[in-house]
Amino acid sequence: MKFEGKLFVMAMVFYLVVAVIYGFWSRDESGIVLLLFTGAMALIVAFFTLHVSRKVYPRPEDNEDALPEDANPDYGFFPPHSWMPLPLAGSMAIIVLGLVFAVWLVVLGVVLLLFSLVGWVFEYYRGDHAH
Amino acid sequence: MASVTAQETRPRLPVNRPNTVAVGTIVWLASELMFFAALFAMYFTMRSIDVEGFHEHAQILDVPFAALICVILVLSSVTCQLGVFAAERGDRKKLEMWFIITFIMGAIFIGGQVKEYMALVEEGLTLSSSSYGSVFFLTTGFHGLHVTGGLIAFLFVLGRLYVSKRFTHEQATTAIVVSYYWHFVDVVWIALFTTIYILQ
Repeated sequence: MKFEGKLFVMAMVFYLVVAVIYGFWSRDESGIVLLLFTGAMALIVAFFTLHVSRKVYPRPEDNEDALPEDANPDYGFFPPHSWMPLPLAGSMAIIVLGLVFAVWLVVLGVVLLLFSLVGWVFEYYRGDHAH
Repeated sequence: MASVTAQETRPRLPVNRPNTVAVGTIVWLASELMFFAALFAMYFTMRSIDVEGFHEHAQILDVPFAALICVILVLSSVTCQLGVFAAERGDRKKLEMWFIITFIMGAIFIGGQVKEYMALVEEGLTLSSSSYGSVFFLTTGFHGLHVTGGLIAFLFVLGRLYVSKRFTHEQATTAIVVSYYWHFVDVVWIALFTTIYILQ
């Protein structure tokens, strides 16, 4: 994980240097701010990867002699299928239509959005899947 | 001195990888940061056109009050992190307690923001009154929506804790990624507060 972290640290340093050069030349505040934010974006990923690299064991990816079967087959829990994204997207569509045409549609959309969010978040916490 | 011959065997450590949910959250937060970067760029572009007007409008802002709710939001990040430490220890009760405290502090922040908005509207500053009004309400408003989304996320974490019989890695992961989001929203507010209330 350390290598990924270093890559993003390098990206961050690059954006910061560019922000300074750009700032000296253009004196354009919004451009400087955007470049600084891009540096911060790289910082988020760098911080996370460096932080995690101290917690996880060396991965097969970090070992030049690794074999394909060394990779941990356990990627995590992925639900086989879910209908919930469909109502979620539908309620977002209603909200956006409501912003254009009528405010009451937004209210309806938000209510539907909350219902579909609850459905999605608790899908594997109910019925047969309760744990 | 006993010599130890280092055997060149490939390490058979239990292979681990970073949590996929955490990685996904971080990538998404990085893209969220670009969304806020656009809002900041909008603010500074409008400000560069009319610096005097921006300073003038900023005089009606209640900076001490905004600083107070800003401190509350920053402290809520601390309580959130205490909840995460409890989650990592597997201490379910403490996690619930800290997350409820964080939720209340976040709700106080939103309540304070609504109060501030009402005062500003009474002063005549609205979304369409001036370019300052537009950028002020768009930047702080989108941030407020993010905080509200975070509050809903806290309710979902607590809801998952209440309906699950056992406290597992899964609940801890949910709590940790929500805390990532909360810290992110918090840091964005520090930048927004500095820009709008201090830099003016």
